[in-house]
Amino acid sequence: MKRYFYLKSRSPHRLMVSVLCQFLYLGLLSAMSYARPLDVSVGGTVMGTDNNAPLPGVSVVVKGTGQGTTTNTSGEFKLNVPSPASVLVFSFVGYLSQEVTVGNRQIIDIRLEADVKALSEVVVVGYGTVKKSDITGSVSSVSAEEMTAYPATGAVQALQGRAAGVQIQANNGEPGAAYKVRIRGGTSINASSDPIYVVDGFVGGAIPPPEDIASLEVLKDASATAIYGSRGANGVIMITTKRGKTGKPRIELNTSISSQNEINRLDLLSPTQFVTYIKEARPTYVTPGASTDWQDQIFRTGGIQNHQLSISGGSDAVSYYLSGALYDQKGVILNSGFKRFSITSNVEVKANSKLKIGLNLFAQRNSKQQAYTQEGSGGLTPGVVASAFKFEPDQAIRDPQTGRFTISRVNDPTDNPYAIATQLQNESVNDRVQGNLFAEYDIIDHLKFRTTLGATTNSGRSGYFAPTTLNVGRSVGGEASVNGSKSTQLLNENYLTYSRVFGGIHDFSLMGGYSYQSSSSESWGGTGQSFITDAVSYWNLDGSSVWQSPNSSLVESQIKSFYSRLNYSLLDRYLFTANIRRDGSSNFSRNNKFATFPSGAFAWKMSNEPFMQNSNLISQWKWRVSYGLTGNQAIAPYQTLARFSNVFTVIDGVPVNAVRPTTVANDDLTWETTAQFDVGTDISLFKNRINLVLDYYRMVTRDLLFSVQLPQYSGYATQLQNIGSVENKGFEFTINTRNLVGDLKWNTDFNFSMNRNKVLTLPGGTDLEYSASPGHLVGLGSTHILREGYPVGSFLGWIYDGVYQEGDDFLPGGGFERTPGGEKYRDINGKDAQGNLTGQPDGKLNSDDRTIVGNPNPKFIWGLNNELSYKGFDLNVFFQGSQGNDILSYSLMELNLLAGNNNATTEALNRWTPANTNTNVPKASAGRSRRVSTRWIYNGSYVRLKNLALGYNFPSALTQKLGMTKLRLYASAQNILTFTKYPGYDPEVNYASSGATDSNRNLGLDYGSYPNAKSYTVGLNIGF
Amino acid sequence: MTKMKNRATKYLLFSLLGTLFLGCTDLEEKPVGILAPESLFKTPKDVQTAIFGAYGWIATERLYGRQFVTALLLRSDMADIGDRGTPAERQQVNDFNMDDNNNMVKVFWPYWYQVISSANAAISGAEALKLPENEGNPLIAEARFIRAFSYYHLVRTFGDIPYIDRFITDPNSVKEISKTPAATVYQNIIADLQFAKQWLPDQQPNSVRSRASKGTATSYLASVYLTMADYQKSYTEAKFVIDNEAKFGYGLVADFQDLFRAPEPNNLKEHIFAIDFLGQQNGGGGANDDIMPPMTGVRGGDAPRSGWSVAVPSMAVYNTWDSRDYRKQVSFTDSLLIKGILQPYTVFDNTKRPHIAKYARYAGNSNAEGRYSDHNYAAMRYAEVLLIAAEALAETSNGSNPESIGYLNRIRARARNRAGKQTNFPEDVAAGLGKDAFIDLVMEERRLELAFEYHRWYDIKRRKLGEKAFKGSNALEPHANFDANRDYLMPLPRVELQVNPNLAPQNPGY
Repeated sequence: MKRYFYLKSRSPHRLMVSVLCQFLYLGLLSAMSYARPLDVSVGGTVMGTDNNAPLPGVSVVVKGTGQGTTTNTSGEFKLNVPSPASVLVFSFVGYLSQEVTVGNRQIIDIRLEADVKALSEVVVVGYGTVKKSDITGSVSSVSAEEMTAYPATGAVQALQGRAAGVQIQANNGEPGAAYKVRIRGGTSINASSDPIYVVDGFVGGAIPPPEDIASLEVLKDASATAIYGSRGANGVIMITTKRGKTGKPRIELNTSISSQNEINRLDLLSPTQFVTYIKEARPTYVTPGASTDWQDQIFRTGGIQNHQLSISGGSDAVSYYLSGALYDQKGVILNSGFKRFSITSNVEVKANSKLKIGLNLFAQRNSKQQAYTQEGSGGLTPGVVASAFKFEPDQAIRDPQTGRFTISRVNDPTDNPYAIATQLQNESVNDRVQGNLFAEYDIIDHLKFRTTLGATTNSGRSGYFAPTTLNVGRSVGGEASVNGSKSTQLLNENYLTYSRVFGGIHDFSLMGGYSYQSSSSESWGGTGQSFITDAVSYWNLDGSSVWQSPNSSLVESQIKSFYSRLNYSLLDRYLFTANIRRDGSSNFSRNNKFATFPSGAFAWKMSNEPFMQNSNLISQWKWRVSYGLTGNQAIAPYQTLARFSNVFTVIDGVPVNAVRPTTVANDDLTWETTAQFDVGTDISLFKNRINLVLDYYRMVTRDLLFSVQLPQYSGYATQLQNIGSVENKGFEFTINTRNLVGDLKWNTDFNFSMNRNKVLTLPGGTDLEYSASPGHLVGLGSTHILREGYPVGSFLGWIYDGVYQEGDDFLPGGGFERTPGGEKYRDINGKDAQGNLTGQPDGKLNSDDRTIVGNPNPKFIWGLNNELSYKGFDLNVFFQGSQGNDILSYSLMELNLLAGNNNATTEALNRWTPANTNTNVPKASAGRSRRVSTRWIYNGSYVRLKNLALGYNFPSALTQKLGMTKLRLYASAQNILTFTKYPGYDPEVNYASSGATDSNRNLGLDYGSYPNAKSYTVGLNIGF
Repeated sequence: MTKMKNRATKYLLFSLLGTLFLGCTDLEEKPVGILAPESLFKTPKDVQTAIFGAYGWIATERLYGRQFVTALLLRSDMADIGDRGTPAERQQVNDFNMDDNNNMVKVFWPYWYQVISSANAAISGAEALKLPENEGNPLIAEARFIRAFSYYHLVRTFGDIPYIDRFITDPNSVKEISKTPAATVYQNIIADLQFAKQWLPDQQPNSVRSRASKGTATSYLASVYLTMADYQKSYTEAKFVIDNEAKFGYGLVADFQDLFRAPEPNNLKEHIFAIDFLGQQNGGGGANDDIMPPMTGVRGGDAPRSGWSVAVPSMAVYNTWDSRDYRKQVSFTDSLLIKGILQPYTVFDNTKRPHIAKYARYAGNSNAEGRYSDHNYAAMRYAEVLLIAAEALAETSNGSNPESIGYLNRIRARARNRAGKQTNFPEDVAAGLGKDAFIDLVMEERRLELAFEYHRWYDIKRRKLGEKAFKGSNALEPHANFDANRDYLMPLPRVELQVNPNLAPQNPGY
């Protein structure tokens, strides 16, 4: 282990790695010395009564001592106890605990009774936990096993397809790239629709690596999220990290190695086909005669190494969990990669019978080497992927005469993709350090006080360098920039919980508290051009001779809150929950600093009614209904204030101080409020062999924080106002079945969600057009529209009617073709003499003829997980899919415009020529204008085999010889099969979809993204 | 007892922990590093920053860096579309088939009003300071010049327009206004310029030309009156400038090429008003981003003279221009290094026509293709003042006279200086031309002298030359669908009429 780290680690990690290894080593030593030999030795096997199979992982503890062990894969345990009078406690999730006095026995075989009735798992909710059976709201849980089924960049990726109502999309396949999360759809247009993350009670805490997560809960309906008030509208993801369990130290090593390749490629024209095509558009074209497959040049076999080592355990007084995780990904594009390295320490101390104190520490370094993709504009430096598609295949990597990297000869003089991939430097490093201290005190019986104090800080640095070997760098003598940032958050929570059962039937719990949270973020940076040498990269800005304006900023915000929740359960049949939170936020305008967010829920455990008590069919049947208000305050601080902004102005040859008014104040701006109604039912049948969860919800977000279009002659573009509303409604369905429970076990989890998003009202009821496209695809104008009654993200364009033929009537219109073989568009609208739209064709083509041509929101998404196990073998098959979403492909628009500006896909082979007139593909024509039309809208539905894994647990006879409690070897494959009709290279697309506004409005766009990867993984899980 | 005390200590500790952070904030935002308007204008220097901001916002990609000036260039008969692969919005402006959703208009319209907003902010800031007249009025005068300059472009491009002359802090207060008739806008422009003429200094510090002086305001008055066909006043103002040329620091530079050789001096004597771009600096938000060199440069040419062949004159513009004219050589790139070999325009990669050279040839310190150039563009130069004087005088004196001929001949004499070598072309204008013939001659002189400098379209509009220029037998750039009832004005952006329906009616024909 240690050797591996030293071999593979590069210098930035070496120190941390070495510290971690020594740390673990010391922990191991001390834990071993602590486990001194005891007097009586006992052993045995633990089986479950439900299927007569051995139960691995059962906790076996000597009562009152904290000494203990867990059963191995064969359900066997062995330990020493102080005396025959010792009592062993056997406990396991989903089973009733049992206590047994050892007596004179040396072999104790135990059969644990399945806890059919209660499903006694607890679920973490805001400021507390609830028994799963007592939940009144809509909450999905994801297990630790699901989180670690395959190596993942982070916990969010691992969540994809696992929970109903949760949509996770890769922003692109770049190593370390962020994922977009939507819980029950996007609730906003301008404000962020991202959920909040609560890690061990820390709102906005760092998301730990998947391996350190014990459980993850997604809170979806208002009764579950309203306790987070002004930040709850987009759902809450509650993460609980692993803790030590009482017993001797457990060491676990999880390690895997993956090999990765790009998920797909595009079929592009060969050099010969390309030359034929380009000459039709540009007859004087002369080919250099080379032949290069640019996709071959930029893609490589990448890989992931994912390792985690943890040690955990505890006594009555202290429990600990220490872990180190390393994720090292070599990207499938040259020069790209991502490394994540973290250490976690969770320690809890029972100071006395009343006081518990704990400290969670977390430190993580992420370093990223980015390939340039997702370009806002591929002017002179196109993205690596976009360029690999479009660059001329008849050019070599280097110009044979000059020896320089080749430059496009058919359009803008851009560098070739290999040059961009290998020369451009784009790196970032982020360090996260977080501590969260809590104390819990039993003041009197039934009354607990808990206080937490957390601090998290994130420091980042990014560097960029374009050397003179690139066209873009050459013209300025090299360009470099360095940017730094630092953000800090402090959170203090204090709450009291009173829980008591009165008269045996009134189960009552009241929680109330307050919190204060502050955050600040700083950033600064500089850019320089023209360096003496390329060798200095971005580490010698002072050596540049052309300086660009530096930048710096500071943003601070505070939230203070009061919150309370009442749970009341009558006869274990009628459950009531009421929440309220009052939030005050500095981000909001001076007249609206505070607001209150109430919610309530009622649940009826129908199966506990006497008339259903003894049903063999139904083990549990619960109805739930909830309603409540939550908020979204996710706009940037200071946005309600008027301000002037700097203008770069030159007077007499030098930059001077200059400003202009840019923002007007809004003293009444407040948060968005989402009212959510949810009705659902949880049904368990056949002794929990079948579990069903169904939910219907409707959310209306009102007072949308909307950038209202101002009259532009006012000198301002937009003003944030609380205007407009958006609706999301949908249906979610989860079913878990235990199909086979004998030696051969088979479990199926299926989740299905459909969400319908719709704009209800817009300011003044007027349509709002906007544009989201790569900047160098100039001339597209508006590409999207917000219109009442239609979903956010609707595409705006013309209807493509195929190709004009000889003898057709050509419709006039500026920039529209009027020749055989040209693109033909449909005339659907026109204006009358007063300038009003008539809805009738007017014989000419212009922007009046645009209409909504596509909807990027899926009709439904789903995930299907099957697990089979037989003896030591286990098999996991996980499918995930999206249905009925449209994609607007700028990649295919650029490639297949056939205007002679670049290479094309093989669709170009079917282009119109006088000899090939029966086609929808227009002829090659140098003057063609780009426009959004149905020609570039595709069905983006897909089904993907996300994970296929086969594992083997070595029998305990063998593992015991090796001194292990567990040894599992597995092989798995990710993303190896995709079923889709989308002709682009991957239907999972998300171009230009980051940032609050863009991530709501820009959906289903495809342009030259870093491809997702397919992976083959082998791994080991070892326990000591 | 000790136990009690312990417990009390614990409670105290917890409550301390709890209240540590609560109450230490009133949730008021106290931004650092944000420029709040209420505290910004404390000294005259602060007012100056808003005036400078207005200047800076003219030197943006949306206005003098690309969009606005390209629209003016393409609209005229002096530049056609080169590469027809360029966006439809540009072709529509050039081909007279634009609609009210044209993207060029959509992007430059708001920027002009942002410049105006900055000028209005400076005026309101200066007024609030209650400075003595001789200190406050020059500030207000400079801001009012910028406002007039902006409205002058807007009124010529759009006709009736919304007119704002105060600093807006609540945009809803102007949400329902109607358009102000063009005639009123002109009156307001004149009032601003007259105030500027009264209060601006003869020269700005270091005689810098990117700030308005008394001469600048007067020259623009001459131009505005010329546009309004108030030739007497136009002549008076132009004459005032010419009479004071020494005081204002005006004159013609000796070599015509030096007007287009970045970096032009910041006090270039021929510049009446210059838009200053600083080489290789990306100012953000499009500020200081000059893209005219690549817009007019040759696609496929060797850097840094390559470009995108967007705005390229028709062959007729080149062919009808006498090749003995030095200004033709300065104005055109008819051959260029391509892959290291000097190639004639007939083998240019994309558009096989001579290209505009005034921007791309000497872009100075700049990015690839000449972007982020180091040019100081002349929004107006002294040669134009001479031409205005000649034209206005001919109108008022019913024909040419020695004075008006003299103005033209100053320009022609300079043109005969071929980079230091005297030639005999173009020869002096002979005496005796009648009014119409002389004015035609002035218009032609303007077309060539000021070629590609964004004045030609305004001349066509002002003199209603469209029918002749686009449909006549000698049309340089024929457009059969030119419609005089529609095309002298561009449409207001559709979105503006949606936000404020009171702006109706849209300009005719759109």
